[in-house]
Amino acid sequence: MSGLSLYVDQGTYLNKLHPYTKLLYVFAAILIPLIGGGGILFPVTIGCSVILLILGKTLKRSFPLIAFSFTLIIVIFLVQGMFYYGNETPLFSLGFLAFYREGVLYALRIGLNILNMLLSFAVFVLNTSPQELVEELEKNGFSPKFGYVINSVFQIVPQMMKTKDTIVDAQRSRGMETEGSLMTRIRAFMPLISPVVMSALINTRERAIALEVRGFGRKNKKTFINDRQKLKGDTVIRIILVLLTAGVVIRRVYSCL
Amino acid sequence: MSLIQIEHLKYRYPGTERLALNDISLSIEKGEFIGIVGRNGAGKSTLGQAVNGLVPRFHNGAYGGKVTVSGLVAEETPVEEMCEHVGLIFQNPFNQLSGAAETVFDEVAYGLQNLGIPAGEICMRVENVLKRLDIWDYRNRNPFALSGGQMQRVAIAGILCMRPEVIILDEPTSQLDPQGTEEVFKVVEDLTETGITIIMIEQKLEKLAKYCDRIILMEGGKVRGFDTPEKIFSREDLPECGVEPPAYTRICKENGLRLSDGTYPVKLEDAEILFRESGIRPASCEKKPGRSSGGEEIFRVENLDFSYIKGVPIFDKLMLTLDERPTAIIGQNGAGKTTLVRLLKGLLKPLSGKIYFRNDDISGKTVAMLAHKVGYVFQNPDDQIFKYRVLDEVMFGPLNIGMSPEKAREEALKAMELMGLSGMEDTNPYDLELHQRKMTAIASVVAMDTDVIILDEPTIAQDHPGRVLIGNMIHELSLKGRLVIAILHDMDFVEEYFERVVVMAHGRILSDGTAEKVFKDDEVLSEARLQKPYVTALREMLASSETKGL
Amino acid sequence: MGNLFKTKLNAATIVLIPACIGINYLGKLFASLLKLPLWLDCIGTCVGACLGGPVIGGICGAINNIIYGLTTGDNITLIYALTSFGIGIAVGITARLGFMETLPKSLVCALAGGLAAVIISTPLNVMFWGGTTGNVWGDAVFAITQANGMPVLLGSFIDEVLVDVPDKLLTIIITFLILKGLPEKIKALYDVDAKVERLD
Repeated sequence: MSGLSLYVDQGTYLNKLHPYTKLLYVFAAILIPLIGGGGILFPVTIGCSVILLILGKTLKRSFPLIAFSFTLIIVIFLVQGMFYYGNETPLFSLGFLAFYREGVLYALRIGLNILNMLLSFAVFVLNTSPQELVEELEKNGFSPKFGYVINSVFQIVPQMMKTKDTIVDAQRSRGMETEGSLMTRIRAFMPLISPVVMSALINTRERAIALEVRGFGRKNKKTFINDRQKLKGDTVIRIILVLLTAGVVIRRVYSCL
Repeated sequence: MSLIQIEHLKYRYPGTERLALNDISLSIEKGEFIGIVGRNGAGKSTLGQAVNGLVPRFHNGAYGGKVTVSGLVAEETPVEEMCEHVGLIFQNPFNQLSGAAETVFDEVAYGLQNLGIPAGEICMRVENVLKRLDIWDYRNRNPFALSGGQMQRVAIAGILCMRPEVIILDEPTSQLDPQGTEEVFKVVEDLTETGITIIMIEQKLEKLAKYCDRIILMEGGKVRGFDTPEKIFSREDLPECGVEPPAYTRICKENGLRLSDGTYPVKLEDAEILFRESGIRPASCEKKPGRSSGGEEIFRVENLDFSYIKGVPIFDKLMLTLDERPTAIIGQNGAGKTTLVRLLKGLLKPLSGKIYFRNDDISGKTVAMLAHKVGYVFQNPDDQIFKYRVLDEVMFGPLNIGMSPEKAREEALKAMELMGLSGMEDTNPYDLELHQRKMTAIASVVAMDTDVIILDEPTIAQDHPGRVLIGNMIHELSLKGRLVIAILHDMDFVEEYFERVVVMAHGRILSDGTAEKVFKDDEVLSEARLQKPYVTALREMLASSETKGL
Repeated sequence: MGNLFKTKLNAATIVLIPACIGINYLGKLFASLLKLPLWLDCIGTCVGACLGGPVIGGICGAINNIIYGLTTGDNITLIYALTSFGIGIAVGITARLGFMETLPKSLVCALAGGLAAVIISTPLNVMFWGGTTGNVWGDAVFAITQANGMPVLLGSFIDEVLVDVPDKLLTIIITFLILKGLPEKIKALYDVDAKVERLD
């Protein structure tokens, strides 16, 4: 598997499920609490995602994905807790910093939403092969040209990243400084990025030729050689997800009437 | 009618003045193996790409004349249709991977999928071709994780399974190591037996001469000659076309040995027969007078240990002393050559052991501190070029290490002259071809006037005149007392220009001495999986056949 | 201005997209390697927009964020695909109108890109983050605006302007400097009006 994708084939049931089914789960998990009015629903969907991550043996690998959001959530707590426009009821204070109930609740809601989105998405990303997703999309009429773009990014970007150290070494060998004052560091940016862009464009020209001579852009229908077996679970899970989402929507509409 | 018919073909690339192809007319029959030779920039690749219609359909520009391939007019046929008739393989194996496939199998199948061939048929064809090219075992590997030679075979497989009538091979081995080159030539040899029409552009003329029915000699966008290899390589105007005939032809010519039709032989076997019949022994390769002694000690490596991954050592207590003699480091990929020179340059730090530069321990020094002492030319010039004028690019290093602008300019102009770049001061480096960009990169380090200059594969993508330029540069720097260290895969070049050769394999030094001594040692060469220079091979072959005769 | 959005979807332009996304990644990587106080993570998008036109620029931007989301598992970046899409389109249009011809003119391009970023990002910031952007300096300013009772939208707008406009300005200058030296051979591949001239 390429270095860029987070997917690892572990042969689990989640791996085998159709990519669309997992995608549908992401939508359902995000929409249900948002439409259903939050409250108890956020912990339910978050819990669901965590269980799925455990079942897919991917819980550990999901930590780095959500870790970065904690600093953001803290910033939101600080800013909203103190300065939210609807702040009225003081909750507690740390020294001269006063926190308000409305702001903290608002921040809690945003924080839970972020966490929910990230976790449900982790279920999808850690268990789905991007190539498989693209191929399924292409089978359903997605343009093979754009399919190519997505697939090739996973292959070509890691190859480009590998040139990073060589370029840095080549320029340092010619006496360029990469440390020091801000001005020195800004000056070092061009000698580093310029070779990247130029060689990328030169390679692009060659790769375009390589694609042309292999029938890229043919009008006829492309052949697919990887057949995937259909799982019974796919249909069942999709029906359940649609029913649950529909249920929440109906409840919401009903409560508004 | 011939399979390929070219009539009064003219072509000019967009934004240029010069005709890249100037009034070319020729025809090629089905099943022929055609070679194209000439200096870099003679129009060889352009001619190849005119056959499958990339010229002009992909490149645009200005076009005249007519090219037909099995009845299709190249200019009017979309490349994606033409690819069923004409396949193209080019230098860089990496850029030929589609980038859309995760496995070798899918990569090879990619073209067939585009053509819409039924899945069952695709799997059959791919399996066949992978087995034929001996890469079936790699079918589930990521193509980007393969070696250059394997990648190039995957690229050839991807074209072959589309079953074209003509295949164009545009210097397919120029960026490969010796082992990869062998792998690819084995495939080419295999192809000659299938009856497919082959057009091959190549600088390794010994190899080309072995397979070709006819050779096209090009110069300045024109066809100078189109004849049998013997006739082409016996021509007197080869030097002005920037072509050096194959080693066997050269030796026979030096010794005045001709075939019955008055031409010189181009194949090893033919040369051997002529030498045996005449009783002449070929003289050894002539070298320019070099330094008489080794000179001062420059580098001393003591008990060097190094590893990238803990527990997987690259070097274990390596010992080496380098003096002023120009030194070539040879060995297969993975032998530790690049790691060694990177340690000398200070780009990597030893785990233990010491590296002394003129008796100074360099382990505590940064790359920047060593920049004005040790120069290093990286393999790919495109990893460093960033200025819009060649002169500015060449002056970047000298200015960084504190030379005054006047001095930097002076050194830069000298270095450019040495690398054959005079008159290109204001040219944009990216308007130059790869081989000239390589010269620019070399000049940009030479201009820093360092005590040591390290070259990583300098001869890749160079034609004969380019190799002579690099050879002369090495000789000249060495006479000035500079140490030149080069990693090389080109054994004939090593034999001609280096006074000392270090053979490496698996992080160990197998042999160290003059080229003559090293290339005599069959055991070391086979352990390092290296081949002899062509001339040495011929000389030894003659010697052994004589003993057999006795 | 019929050809403002004209786009060739041939192999050359399609392959340009992954290359540009690679450039985006490396720009970001080098900026953090040199500890620069900017992101510089859309140089590739701008290169794509200048060479391939607004549509390709937009696609580069959007796919860049989609891939980034898929590879870091961060689906919030996915939403900002809209912003990157907008930057690509804005830079592409201004470039096609001739604003990448000289350095002073390219400032218009930078302004267009920066504004597109601000206009699209601000509502997203408010919706998903309550107005913050995740940038320390920008968020400090946001906190001050909120403390002084300014509306969330305005505060977030100021935050975003401070963060995005200088970044896009430098990005466009870098893009301009690089593309200035682009050889004709490569430019010709992306020329939408290219025709083969006859020599006989």
